Amino acid sequence: MSQPPPTDEKLLHERVLRKDPVVSTEVFKTYVDQIVDVLTKHLGCDEDDANQCAVDVVFSYLTNPKRYDPGKGRLGAYLTQAAKYRALDKRRAADARERRNQKYGSDVERRATSPKEVVENSVEAKRIMERLEKRQVLKSERDRKAVRRILMGEGSTKRLAEELELGPLPRDELKREVKRHRDRLMKLLERFGQSLERGGKEESDDES
Amino acid sequence: MTNPKWLAVAARSSGQHDWTLGYVFEQYRKYENKSAEALAEELGCSPDTLAWLSLCRRPSEEHFAEHLEEIGKRFEVEPHRLAAVIRHVEFLDVLPERRDAEEEGEESFLLAARDHTDEDDETNS
Repeated sequence: MSQPPPTDEKLLHERVLRKDPVVSTEVFKTYVDQIVDVLTKHLGCDEDDANQCAVDVVFSYLTNPKRYDPGKGRLGAYLTQAAKYRALDKRRAADARERRNQKYGSDVERRATSPKEVVENSVEAKRIMERLEKRQVLKSERDRKAVRRILMGEGSTKRLAEELELGPLPRDELKREVKRHRDRLMKLLERFGQSLERGGKEESDDES
Repeated sequence: MTNPKWLAVAARSSGQHDWTLGYVFEQYRKYENKSAEALAEELGCSPDTLAWLSLCRRPSEEHFAEHLEEIGKRFEVEPHRLAAVIRHVEFLDVLPERRDAEEEGEESFLLAARDHTDEDDETNS
């Protein structure tokens, strides 16, 4: 795609500076195709992005033509270079957005449990809770609620704090308290598990 | 002659630049609740011509008649019809005050591009 001769280009720029009412259409006609061509062939932009970048830089130039210094190079080169930077900026922004979305997706994936797992956890938790109740391992209602939550895989400090009926506390203190209770209950469950292993036979008799 | 694919993009983007007729048309359509086709009909032109007109600079106050004439001649549009649309929008006071310093605050990326063009292959063409 050929550029206009320098003299024509100079005249075009002068008309833009004079705010000629129709020159903008000529600038679009003269440069947009060649800019789109460079963006699609050299940068691998898709046509829609290339069109938008080309249109944006032409409007920027028409809005503020004094920023272009004819002494430093051809207008076509100036607009093309500006469009390249714009396209690269857009691509970088899109890549960053994509990375953020992927990170968010994997974070959510890590946290989420499948419906099947939820059901399994729930059934298993119910079974263990029944055994704990039977042996009267858990002395208080708040411990029962908290253990049920732990067995269901609950990791939220806030939820466990609610079940443990911990009053409003500063965040750090709340985290410490929840951890303390959680450790206590986990030890209790561990001991309960060991006692089950020791008295496996008795347990199976109890179940029958 | 078929219109380039970028024309629709440019016509749509023109509404963001208050120095363009595209901006005037967008305001007019918004206030009069008209489609682009209806506006084109009112101006006595095709929707394609309306898209090209959108890229034109609004006539300046000092050279209003002269600029209207020029635009009208280039795109075969009756100047008085175009003037009616422009004046209507001005009357509704939805056009921002014209100012030479409208460029202030425009993106600076062109400046950045300027600094690099000497090193780029494109400059040698």
